[in-house]
Amino acid sequence: MKQIEFTITDPLGIHARPAGQLCKAVSAMGSSVKIATEAKEADARRMMSVMGLGIKGGMKVKFTIDGASEEADAQKLEATLREIGLI
Amino acid sequence: MFDNLKKKLGIAGAERVVVSPVAGQAVPLSEVSDPTFSEEILGKGAAVIPSEGKIVSPVDGIIDLMFETGHAVSMRSNDGAEVLIHVGLDTVKLAGKHYTVHHKNGDKVRAGELLITFDLDAIKAEGYDPITLVIICNTEEFSSVHPHTGTTVAALDTLLTLKK
Repeated sequence: MKQIEFTITDPLGIHARPAGQLCKAVSAMGSSVKIATEAKEADARRMMSVMGLGIKGGMKVKFTIDGASEEADAQKLEATLREIGLI
Repeated sequence: MFDNLKKKLGIAGAERVVVSPVAGQAVPLSEVSDPTFSEEILGKGAAVIPSEGKIVSPVDGIIDLMFETGHAVSMRSNDGAEVLIHVGLDTVKLAGKHYTVHHKNGDKVRAGELLITFDLDAIKAEGYDPITLVIICNTEEFSSVHPHTGTTVAALDTLLTLKK
């Protein structure tokens, strides 16, 4: 299990579009990926749950990546977050 | 009339129906000028170019997330579809301006209940495309999501047919 933490820099936070892009990327990974705020946790494959976290710019977000390919998936996840412009 | 309505709401058969949340012109997602939607990254669905500023529920179900900004709402239908209604492209940037929400998270609603009103002309005047997307976020749980597009729709006309 691997945990990584980021502060969301996009002032609009994780709204519909980035949530969809994030879920699509995570769905292609072999690991299970959870995304959590201080208040709640969600399965990062489920777009509705991710949007439901109501993540805004400036908030800290923790990802928990679990699986045989967790090291590689953590790197992919970070690259995806940068590409979407969330971090 | 009620049989017809039941059929429309997909209670009768294995097919589930998602009705249009707004009056306008129904078009395929591929015609939306935003790859997130046109490439179906968020799921399959359909788009409506709205002719009025009124969004009603397209299903019987529960409101999962009413965005504070009023530009989008996600719902879970009683028959298992996760539906995202996104009013306009990039309209998250309006930060709530021109939108009024009429329900909150967790509310149970029937198809046809008013969810959001918006000032269509003001949104257009600010340079935003008001095209409204109806997306099935759990597309993978259905064998088909069939859009009924290429026609003028009234609110509550059939927009999508889903098969398990």
